[in-house]
Amino acid sequence: MHIIVCVKQIPDPEVPPAKFKIDPDTKKVMPPPGLPPVISVFDERAVELACRIKEKNPGTKITAITMGPGKVSDVVKHALAMGADEGIVLQDKAFEDSDSFGNAHILAKAIQKIGSYDLILCGRQAADWDIGQTGSILAETLGIPVVTVAKDIEVAGDKIKVSRVMEDGYEVVEAPLPCVVTVSNEVGLPRLPSGMGIIQAARKQVPAWTAADIGADPAKIGPAAAHSEITSLFIPTRDTTCEVITADTLAEAAVKLALKLRETKVV
Amino acid sequence: MAHREIFWNISHEYIMYVLSFIAVVFVAYAIYRHYKMWRMGKGDERSKNMGSRVWAFVKTGFADGLGHRRFLREPYPGIMHLLIFWGCVILLLAAAVDAITHYLVIPLEGSTYLWFSLVVDIAGILVLIGVILAITRRYIQKPERLNTFLDDGVILSLIAIVIITGYMIEGLRLAATEVNTNPDWALWSPVGLVFTKKTLFGGLSHDTILTLHSVLWWFHAVLVNGTIIYVALSYSKLQHIVISPLNAFFRNLGPVGAPAPIDMETAEVLGVGEIKDFTWKQLLDGDACTNCGRCQDVCPAWASGKPLSPRKLTQDIKTQWQKVANPKSNPPESLPPLIGGAIAEDEIWACTTCAACQQACPVFIEHIVKIIDMRRNLTMMQSKMPENIQLMLRNMQTRGHPWVGAQTLRLRGDWTSGLGLNTLAEDSNVDMLLWVGCTAALSDRNVEVTLALVRVLKAAGVSFGILGEDEPCCGDPARRAGYEIQFQTSVEQNIALLQGYNVKNIVATCPHCYNTFKNEYPKFGGSFNVVHHTQLIADLLKQDKIKLTCDLRSLATYHDPCYLGRYNSIYSEPRNILHAIPQLKLKEMERSHSKSFCCGGGGTHMWFEQQIGTKVNDIRTDEALKTNAEIVATACPYCLLMLEEAIQGKDLQQPLKAKDIAELVDQAMEKSA
Amino acid sequence: MSNQGILVCGEIAEGKLAPITLELLGIGRKLANDLGQELNILLMGSGIGNLAQEAIAFGADKVHVADNALLQEYNSDAYTAVAAKLCQKISPDIVLLGQTDGGRDLAPRLAGRLGGGLAMDCLELSIDPSTKLLVQTRPVFGGNANARIVSKAARPQMATIRSKTMAPAVRDDSRKGQVIPVEDIDASTVKVKVLERVKEKTEGVKLEDAEVVVSGGRGIGNAQNFQVLRDLANLLNGAVGATRAACEEGWIPMTHQVGQTGKIVSPKLYIAVALSGAMQHIAGCSGSKCVIAVNKDGGANIFKIATYGIVGDYKEVIPALSQKLKELLGK
Ligand SMILES: Cc1cc2nc3c(=O)[nH]c(=O)nc-3n(C[C@H](O)[C@H](O)[C@H](O)COP(=O)(O)OP(=O)(O)OC[C@H]3O[C@@H](n4cnc5c(N)ncnc54)[C@H](O)[C@@H]3O)c2cc1C
Ligand code: SF4
Ligand code: SF4
Repeated sequence: MHIIVCVKQIPDPEVPPAKFKIDPDTKKVMPPPGLPPVISVFDERAVELACRIKEKNPGTKITAITMGPGKVSDVVKHALAMGADEGIVLQDKAFEDSDSFGNAHILAKAIQKIGSYDLILCGRQAADWDIGQTGSILAETLGIPVVTVAKDIEVAGDKIKVSRVMEDGYEVVEAPLPCVVTVSNEVGLPRLPSGMGIIQAARKQVPAWTAADIGADPAKIGPAAAHSEITSLFIPTRDTTCEVITADTLAEAAVKLALKLRETKVV
Repeated sequence: MAHREIFWNISHEYIMYVLSFIAVVFVAYAIYRHYKMWRMGKGDERSKNMGSRVWAFVKTGFADGLGHRRFLREPYPGIMHLLIFWGCVILLLAAAVDAITHYLVIPLEGSTYLWFSLVVDIAGILVLIGVILAITRRYIQKPERLNTFLDDGVILSLIAIVIITGYMIEGLRLAATEVNTNPDWALWSPVGLVFTKKTLFGGLSHDTILTLHSVLWWFHAVLVNGTIIYVALSYSKLQHIVISPLNAFFRNLGPVGAPAPIDMETAEVLGVGEIKDFTWKQLLDGDACTNCGRCQDVCPAWASGKPLSPRKLTQDIKTQWQKVANPKSNPPESLPPLIGGAIAEDEIWACTTCAACQQACPVFIEHIVKIIDMRRNLTMMQSKMPENIQLMLRNMQTRGHPWVGAQTLRLRGDWTSGLGLNTLAEDSNVDMLLWVGCTAALSDRNVEVTLALVRVLKAAGVSFGILGEDEPCCGDPARRAGYEIQFQTSVEQNIALLQGYNVKNIVATCPHCYNTFKNEYPKFGGSFNVVHHTQLIADLLKQDKIKLTCDLRSLATYHDPCYLGRYNSIYSEPRNILHAIPQLKLKEMERSHSKSFCCGGGGTHMWFEQQIGTKVNDIRTDEALKTNAEIVATACPYCLLMLEEAIQGKDLQQPLKAKDIAELVDQAMEKSA
Repeated sequence: MSNQGILVCGEIAEGKLAPITLELLGIGRKLANDLGQELNILLMGSGIGNLAQEAIAFGADKVHVADNALLQEYNSDAYTAVAAKLCQKISPDIVLLGQTDGGRDLAPRLAGRLGGGLAMDCLELSIDPSTKLLVQTRPVFGGNANARIVSKAARPQMATIRSKTMAPAVRDDSRKGQVIPVEDIDASTVKVKVLERVKEKTEGVKLEDAEVVVSGGRGIGNAQNFQVLRDLANLLNGAVGATRAACEEGWIPMTHQVGQTGKIVSPKLYIAVALSGAMQHIAGCSGSKCVIAVNKDGGANIFKIATYGIVGDYKEVIPALSQKLKELLGK
């Protein structure tokens, strides 16, 4: 069985809200200095799930692929350390600022270049822009089924049983292989890379493929090909100080609080 | 002239040599067997630098060996062992003297002989008193820490019988000789005299005495050699006579509790997962342990009801080792695994690495590194660990510090805001680097201490720089958790970072950082001149650079952080500072200095909690409360948090506050308006 | 312009139009009016019966009904096939779905198949008066920022809306509309089969996954009093947490401990009751979107990170809060 896991590097989401800065002009987020980027939490869980499948199904091979600018090979190395067998980086100026459709096209092309695969795992969404579409669009692009927000996968021959997270519980679906599964955080805590894993990962070569290598269609990638665009990015007004609710009696204050919560759509 | 005939009344004495020879063969076999067992372990650098080892052994041999320095920290068992030890040493020397005088025909006569007789007689009594004390303790008092086996009874009885028969033989000889011929000589053998004709053996005929003497003499000889053979063949604890000094010889001469680096490129196994992964010295430890329980008595894990006892751990490793060494009677497939079998995972995680056990062990056994070695196997080979440890290690890996979640509240450099401090990147032309450490940079309460320290350093005009948001973790939490790979990565990066700024001197606020820099970085090529902030402040006070004039008028007690005290012997500087504060009285807790009891936060316990038993910080806080102090001063960010938490949990009549010494100094400092 | 009309993918729950459907119709009607276009709704299910009329009463101009046993429950393949086919037929300008179990799954597949431009989990939708484009506002970076998104060329413009963020449509039984059956679907398109659905009781919400966490501290006083917090948590489908101090008192099992040495949670709403907000505790919940503090001590640290706070005895505050919320949530 061959599992391909798509992973993404994102700015560390763990920052004090007051330190979260954006540049409204470029519509980009500016991480505080000194905070290294991390692997997207859902993607890390996808790697974890792949490793669990591999443990139960010896002979499984895991390939981790990532796309992005800069030192994104770090996240592939992380996946390798956790237990992936091979890693690939997709890096090209032309890839930058693609939207979900562009990303899905690039990933599909890379996956077609890899050749055979049985299962493609992605995070349910990237924990930066929280877009949550790439996996499904990738499946549509490849013309294979997709199962979203999974918390567990069981392999049974040429089919898989997937537990999907639902608002009030979960459902178990059966899907034929090959297919795409997007993974949710309910998978649980990803493993700590073992010492041997890290050593072996450090020794592994991670090839970098460009647009030309995978034969990406220039008309389908980059900002020009994006189906939608961000017109503005802003930080919603947020009270940095606590709003203390007062009233004649505490019970009245509580009622005021309840109304406030409803009004601000918190509940 | 006064003398005595060796082998008086004994014929066929060659039989004794045959007996002795047999005993020697068995001893040789036993040594060979042990040697083979030790060789089951991996290599250890303890076999290098023999010269300095011999020197160290001789140097401390007087105090720790002959003087029983470590034993005598507890009077009863200390004196008990001292008596048996010295009694036996004298008796052995006496036997040697006998042999020398007999074969080299150097006569032992006159007053020398008489004194010799007296000393030997007294030595026997010393042993007997020791044995009686031991029997009383083990079978009547039964302190919790002693586990009694058949062997304990057997060896105590054997020793007693050997000594008593010795006296009887002496008495019979006296009865047949000196009492009749030179009664004033006999007075020099007072105990033997008790057994002479006039008393116990009164009324026996001369012939009976001779027969009885010869029978008892042979019985004694057989018994002595038999005892030797028994000890050689069994795993009797008396083997410690040889093995403990050997263990002391090979003891750790380096820093306390520092695990050996792992060569990640070549290592096939990480840490210790089975007996053969231990080094031969670690196995030798098992042989040297006498099951005395001193370590267990001082262990905070044990005291708080956790499943770890360093005594039991040492013994369990030993038992497992003996089983592995004996595959015929213990087929490997029937053996429980070392981790999760012989030693439970909970035991391995319960250790706070406080080093109290190692400090207490009379035979220099090292528990901590074995525990860390097993943690290494768990985290790096088996990926098994408590969830909060995993979270902590993941955080170290991705965010460079162990404080999971802290980063949503503040970033590492936030504490510096508004202080006008220069980072080394801005100005590296300073005398020293103030290394703050993760806790003191990220945890609110500890940041208060950092700020106090900065005020003190500024007031004293110290030229220092900081790393600010670029300060990484020293790596200690990863190392104590056994995640050596992360530790070594941190070390490599940090050394490069510090050398890049040409850092020579470091002042650390955290004893854990201090210890790591001072004792563990040199092995990786990073040698810095490191001081702890208490050392620096004590020094500044001495040089009159800070004036403490504000009256604090209060009673304080001082909690020695393990990594400052037992790990680095820094006991006096913090106390000197406290003494220098006007109107601050210091009252020691019952356990202080090297006997200080852990706060419960070391060895990764800041980040996870074993929800078993009671809490170590509660126990320690109760000890602080007993002094009636209003302030419990300390000098470690972990200790501060642990003590403070325990104080909050108690309903106190009189308020007790936990403070870092730097805060007290800041408070007592002359404030210029 | 070739694409015309607004299509809402409705959801049915327990034989009725689900609340999200009414919210979709509400915003859909508004956008349709702004653009002067028709509002379509697609209802998929089995035995839909008179729900089409209901949809009309709630504002739909055209109701496309796909009534088929295969559509009894949400099935990704079947629903995608039906919705895609309809979209290809009627070429809507805008397609709206709910950010629900189904909508979240369906929307990106549909977008992928149709090549539209999609924004998920929108909090606001409006029509730009000059360009007539749909402006979608959605949270990014875990809610730290919001982004406005438009699709200039890709059609349809698609959005999923977060439930309870938009006003539901108002019923008007006098409204008229058209009901159009959707032709039979091809069973061979269904590759993924649902084997079972398991409902987990609200009490079983895992602390780590809960969207609402109600935590108590030492100030709660005893084990019985935790019931007040449990009631509030149940009401909000949330879980109960605690500080280490409360766990150590034995009032609640250690597994409920939130913080450095306990669980790390990041719910939408964290209600901190009678706890002081020690750093070790806050570290476990500071990822929460909204924090409410109830504490008698107005100087307690917890107020520093709280969005809203009430200073006073929780015994008076929490029951009143539960009561009012119950009323507001219609439970
Ligand atoms: C290494 C370490 C790890 C730790 N890990 C954790 C952890 O993971 N999680 C954790 O929670 N703690 C942890 N702690 C403990 C933490 O430091 C605090 O001690 C603990 O969180 C305090 O709990 P509390 O807020 O419930 O109690 P307190 O600090 O005693 O606060 C009780 C609060 O209740 C208020 N109150 C009392 N009665 C009422 C009333 N009737 N109505 C309203 N308000 C009332 C009081 O004003 C007070 O503010 C850790 C500590 C250490 C040292
Ligand atoms: S280091 Fe401390 S906690 Fe660990 S075994 Fe020794 S005494 Fe116990
Ligand atoms: S390890 Fe040392 S202190 Fe502990 S029981 Fe053995 S000999 Fe005694």
